[in-house]
Amino acid sequence: MSARGVVLAGVGGQGVVLASAVLAEAALRSDFEVKQSEVHGMAQRGGAVVSHIRYGETVASPVVPLASADVLAAFEWAEALRWMPYLAPRGALVVDARRIVPPGACKDHRTWGVPYPAMDTATVAHRVADVLLIDASGIAASLGNPKTANSVVMGAVSRFLDIDDVAWEKAITRFVPPGTEELNIAAFHAGQEAGSVRPEAIPDLGLDPIQQRSYRIEVDHSWCKDCGICPTVCPEFCLAMDHAHRLVVVDEAACIGCRLCEALCPDFAIRISVGDPAVVSGGAP
Amino acid sequence: MTTTAQVREHLRGWAMPHVLCPGCAHGIVGRAFLSAVDDVGIDPDQMAVVAGIGCSSRLVGYLDFCTLHATHGRAPSFAAGIKLARPELTVAVFSGDGDGLAIGGNHLIHAARRNIDLTVVLFNNEIYGMTGGQAAPTTSVGAIASTAPRGSVESPFDACKLMIGAGATFVARAAASEPYTLARIFADALDHEGLSFVEVLSDCPTYFGRYNKLGSGPEMLAAITRSDNRIAIPLAGKRSIPTIDPPDLPPGVELGTLHREHRPVFTGRAGGAT
Amino acid sequence: MNEPRLIRGNEACALAAIAAGCRFYGGYPITPSSEIAEHMARELPEVGGVFVQMEDEISSLGAVIGAAFAGAKAMTATSGPGFSLMQEHIGYAVMAEAPCVIVDVMRGGPSTGRPTSPSQGDVMQARWGTHGDHPAIVFAPASVAEIFELTVKAFVVAERTRMPVIVLYDEVLGHTAETVALPEEVTVADRRKPEVEPEAFLPMLPANDGVPPLPAFGDGYRFHVTGLVHDERGFPSDDPAVAGALLRRLHAKVENHRSEIVDVATSHLDDADVVIFAYGIVARAAEEAVAMARRQGGRVGLVRPRTLWPFPDAEIAEAVRGARLVVVCEMNLGQMLLEVERVVAGSVPIAAVLRGDGEPIDPDEILAALDRDMEGALP
Repeated sequence: MSARGVVLAGVGGQGVVLASAVLAEAALRSDFEVKQSEVHGMAQRGGAVVSHIRYGETVASPVVPLASADVLAAFEWAEALRWMPYLAPRGALVVDARRIVPPGACKDHRTWGVPYPAMDTATVAHRVADVLLIDASGIAASLGNPKTANSVVMGAVSRFLDIDDVAWEKAITRFVPPGTEELNIAAFHAGQEAGSVRPEAIPDLGLDPIQQRSYRIEVDHSWCKDCGICPTVCPEFCLAMDHAHRLVVVDEAACIGCRLCEALCPDFAIRISVGDPAVVSGGAP
Repeated sequence: MTTTAQVREHLRGWAMPHVLCPGCAHGIVGRAFLSAVDDVGIDPDQMAVVAGIGCSSRLVGYLDFCTLHATHGRAPSFAAGIKLARPELTVAVFSGDGDGLAIGGNHLIHAARRNIDLTVVLFNNEIYGMTGGQAAPTTSVGAIASTAPRGSVESPFDACKLMIGAGATFVARAAASEPYTLARIFADALDHEGLSFVEVLSDCPTYFGRYNKLGSGPEMLAAITRSDNRIAIPLAGKRSIPTIDPPDLPPGVELGTLHREHRPVFTGRAGGAT
Repeated sequence: MNEPRLIRGNEACALAAIAAGCRFYGGYPITPSSEIAEHMARELPEVGGVFVQMEDEISSLGAVIGAAFAGAKAMTATSGPGFSLMQEHIGYAVMAEAPCVIVDVMRGGPSTGRPTSPSQGDVMQARWGTHGDHPAIVFAPASVAEIFELTVKAFVVAERTRMPVIVLYDEVLGHTAETVALPEEVTVADRRKPEVEPEAFLPMLPANDGVPPLPAFGDGYRFHVTGLVHDERGFPSDDPAVAGALLRRLHAKVENHRSEIVDVATSHLDDADVVIFAYGIVARAAEEAVAMARRQGGRVGLVRPRTLWPFPDAEIAEAVRGARLVVVCEMNLGQMLLEVERVVAGSVPIAAVLRGDGEPIDPDEILAALDRDMEGALP
């Protein structure tokens, strides 16, 4: 048998590293040679985490080559799309339908519109043998602990791998936090049973509706001396001096409420207050 | 840092706007101080601020505490009298560099030596602003002032070293361009038991800036930030930090809390120090 | 009254201050006043007060004024060179209306002069030493008992008028021990406190007598104190109308309290042909001179102001009415002489016994002057 390749991808906090340890252990217990490699630089801050696992009778490199993963298990839709190039042409895609907007996607604070890709499984389906979009987070929550979503995903992954349940269960028992062994094993089995869901049937689990915080910039012109400090410190160019060197608020909507102008106003003349929150739709457009 | 609305609670609004020039950073310092008073949770009725004479000292008139605008350089002695007579008050001193280090130098160092529980804020803009831009004991060598038309030749004081030498038990230096740090240091200083001294690098665009071609308020704040070379250099070019071209920086002054110790506090009462 | 005992002038001053309620002393050592500070250093902490030795006389009075605004009855004591340094803050206390007491134990001057000799050289400095057109309240005791009495009175007047009150005596009195029976109780006064709520409080709004009520820092009234010309809110003003009204009020409030302040002692004036004018230690010699003259049949009387400032114009004018000669005696080459000349205004000839060598004036000198300047003064 040639080496099998699995890519696990998610964001910090989802248990990708743990899941990859479980898979590696299960493969070891099935008498395969295992190599594993992971990247989790900004994991604690919601950053991307990816782990490559290769196993087989002999494995040379720990890194799954492009277009050769037998299974891509994504704990998050955008991460699934990001790592798609690693999936073999007829590989299997397992995705938790939970959407987590990465911090980098929040930059447009004016509209709070989030550039998040639509869950268009049909588009990707022609590239892969199987697409399994599961509500892992929902299943885990219904079992009593949303944190076991990673075990649900691994249960679904196990359907495409030649590792027996005993090995999986022993691996889970070894790595999950003490006291949660049974729950994780139950989650694993639930993942084995989980059916694919339609994207629109999945509630927004990871992405609360975003309330746009708007800010009001009030300049008390009877106190302001038009010294010109605040326009130079405003990171969003909300304030400017006009042609007569008078302070004007040019773009209140751009204010992010950092209050630097307040803190650096020598004349106590600027007040930043939170305006009426405007609800902006939280997920994909 | 508290919001403008909160800070304004501590201002005598009817007296505003204050007399200071456009771009004078003293107001930033005052604001950070008020923020710290709030953070520390001092009852405004129990807060007294004493000032000498000069631009910085005029600021106290706008603070809605018990405020005393004393004579030139003598604020520490008035403050000592207030604190010793009514120890439950929190007493601070606002002083300028000329006020505190020239005419009032003796009072300043003796307040430190006695370790009376005062918080002394020294606004350093390297010049006499109120009287029209004369050289101060802090004017940098080479800097132009109206009484140093060819550039100052006298060595300036290092106020913090002076105060450490005099026995101040909390000594810090901060920049008006870093209001959040400033507010934190003020809070520490107000919390400190004993004489705390905070030198604040401020600006005088009207005289120092004009005479020395340093620009107006925004540019001078930038220059102050630049003088703190720990952070300014890596952040130079980022627009959110007021800064101008950073090369060829002179060695920056040391900022932050420079000295802290515990020594008995002078109370002037039976039983001596507490 | 307590049992009579020997008390030195400077000790009497300190005892009086504590009896009057003084609980803050800030001072700087200087001969011949240092015993006051030493007594206060020992005794003030025993009664819950504060003693602080400051770095100079400027800061001494600064601390005293600070303490006054913090609610304490406060004082300092010094001598000529230190009194010169205090002038800055005497003016501040007048302008900011800080009740406090300043004792100047005069010594020979100018400058360092003769530190251990008596003098009356500061009487005009006490009036005009600080800059500006200000009022002044100055007492001049002539004995140890009077040092006690007038120091107590200085606190009373300071509290009632919100003025710095100066007690002026000299090295000899400061270091003289006399038998004194101190009173068991003294009349004290406390400053008037505001009756309005803090929100309605105008810190420099005067009561009918021209004196604004004064809460202490920490009493819940937040107010501003400044040496600049200020309005009723206590806030600086550049308005000439405000400046004029303020200065007039500062003078008027002292005038309104004149009857409590002005204090003139007289003796043998009823039939006096000759009226001797003397104050402080010189008045002791003058009293003796009057006694000696009377023994010789001379009709000589004495007018002795115990309040030097405001100058007792009316009382002096009344005292010299009908006299044929006024003899001004002082240890100066003519300071209060000018005031007497102003009040007498040529109605009576004036002779002067003046001495500037730092030695006390002798009764014989005064008698000799009588003899010289008025034929038949001593039959």
